[in-house]
Amino acid sequence: MSANSANISASSAGSKKSLKTFSDDIWKNKTAKINAELFTLTYGSIVSQLCTDFERDFKKVNSHLSAMGYNIGVRLIEDFLARTALPRCDSFTQTSEVISKCAFKIFLNVTPQVGNWSSSKDTFSLFLDENPLSDFVELPMDAVKELWYSNILCGVLKGALEMVQMDCDVWFVSDVLRGDQNTEMRVKLNRIMKEEIPAGED
Amino acid sequence: MVDSGLASEVNEHQRLQLQFQLFQESLPKVDETVYRMLLNEAVPLAIGVERSLNHLEEDSTDQLETDLNSKLTFESQELGASHKLLQEYMTADQDQQIRINTRLENIGFQLGQKLSQLLIFSNNPNLSFKDMDLLSVMKFVCRDVWKQVFGKQIDNLKTNHRGTFYLLDYNYKPIESFTLEEDLSDQEQKMMEPFLHVPCGMIRGVLASLGFEKEDQVTCQATLVEAPDSKQAGASAFAKSVSFNVQVLVER
Amino acid sequence: MAIYSFWIFDRHCNCIFDREWTLKSNQSSGTTNSKQNEDTAKLLYGMIFSLRSISQKLSGEGSHNEIRTISTGKYRAHILCTASGLWFVLLSDLKQEDLSHVLRYLYSEIYVKTVVHNWFSPVDFAESDSEKRGQGVRKIRNRSFLANVERFLGPMVN
Repeated sequence: MSANSANISASSAGSKKSLKTFSDDIWKNKTAKINAELFTLTYGSIVSQLCTDFERDFKKVNSHLSAMGYNIGVRLIEDFLARTALPRCDSFTQTSEVISKCAFKIFLNVTPQVGNWSSSKDTFSLFLDENPLSDFVELPMDAVKELWYSNILCGVLKGALEMVQMDCDVWFVSDVLRGDQNTEMRVKLNRIMKEEIPAGED
Repeated sequence: MVDSGLASEVNEHQRLQLQFQLFQESLPKVDETVYRMLLNEAVPLAIGVERSLNHLEEDSTDQLETDLNSKLTFESQELGASHKLLQEYMTADQDQQIRINTRLENIGFQLGQKLSQLLIFSNNPNLSFKDMDLLSVMKFVCRDVWKQVFGKQIDNLKTNHRGTFYLLDYNYKPIESFTLEEDLSDQEQKMMEPFLHVPCGMIRGVLASLGFEKEDQVTCQATLVEAPDSKQAGASAFAKSVSFNVQVLVER
Repeated sequence: MAIYSFWIFDRHCNCIFDREWTLKSNQSSGTTNSKQNEDTAKLLYGMIFSLRSISQKLSGEGSHNEIRTISTGKYRAHILCTASGLWFVLLSDLKQEDLSHVLRYLYSEIYVKTVVHNWFSPVDFAESDSEKRGQGVRKIRNRSFLANVERFLGPMVN
């Protein structure tokens, strides 16, 4: 199994450069791939159907995209951990590195930039210059103000992080599909969830 | 002289094939697991949508509406875990089930149409869309479409040459890991049903974009079947074999 | 290889799977998810929990130090703790020094494929707060998980 090499790399995953190399290796050698365009088309069909179902009430579409993402995130995290053998992160800063350089890389083959840290270091932004969900997508006029097209990503991150005991809020602040300068997601750590202990052991 | 003419034709074809292959490999990719999860989660999504649409229909008085508005920012958890939503399908009434499945068919249909366009313009030297008859279109679905979406081709295509086709996939990938507990195994067929509406819609979408677009011209129904040989290429004992029955009304 | 039993604990302190082999000579012997193992499960959980939390305190801040094996005079427990709070545990005879590759396979090839990728299976086995903190009773029962565990671990029982 990939265990040994994964363990050796994982323990030095603190260093940014080695995390990048580690993730590149997993993407190149241990990931089955499909054409991104197929992914874009499938997601587009799903969003389109939701818009029809809710008669263009984009707030509801956003909610359902996020809920869909959440259900994917709680499963995807196990895939991620099985493939990378990474342990819990020591800090939220390290979490941001693992999300941007490792998770996005091995699943979507993109590496968003991390930035815009809050002064209390509990919130950061992910800047996606590439987004396979929305390649070649153009939003119709009525959607531009209210639809967060890639909202599924917010749910995926929220669900995945919850499984590693981080209660986070994740939301979009801008999207090039809406005519904004860039596509920016914000991730805020509300609290680190306490590990459960058996009832009666307090 | 004839020989060398043929040889250069073959070489040209090989060159185009190699070029096409290299081009395909250079295209941007994403992880297959993520794609599979997106496809699968579409089913609980469709069920969740049905639930929220019905909810809103029941409580249509003004008072309740304001109440609902404040609750409309769904907590993802409120909609429910994937497996719970799937259980709701079993207890939904027939109309609801039909609406859920139609939703999934529509998603598949759109995907089929767009995918067709994508493949048509991909310069695949093995495909020629100029004089495609129905059988060629079905072969296109079985080989190229299935390979793109599910990583493998349809295992067996049967036809009566009069518009009826059976596409047999002995290890339909999206649901290959799905199993229930021992005592619920008789419900498996029914529970898998919604998962088969996306590929059915996709088949119809491809056919529609290649000339078979008249209303109700194409119908597609999928059923789980027994694989003829349970030792199919690396498939586990729990591989799901699916038969897609496609009926196309051909004008005379 | 003399594996005695296989356990999975989740982040709600619950044992969500147990398989104990009672006869070395018969790989289909023993129990699966049985009530008799409830007390053993709780003791096993407690032992791992305590040693894990003490050893993490001993290692100090900022480093993750997970327990890998616990040996007694009669058996060895091999443990894989995932960042998602799952513990995969194998009890074996003392001859087995390192079964981490077996645990990895159980996680990435069996658990992920038959539970995580199975839309009919929950990934969170506690359906309400009353089933958390070690008070839950739900188990992994789906057929392909069970079959894969038997096929993989069965030959290692003797």
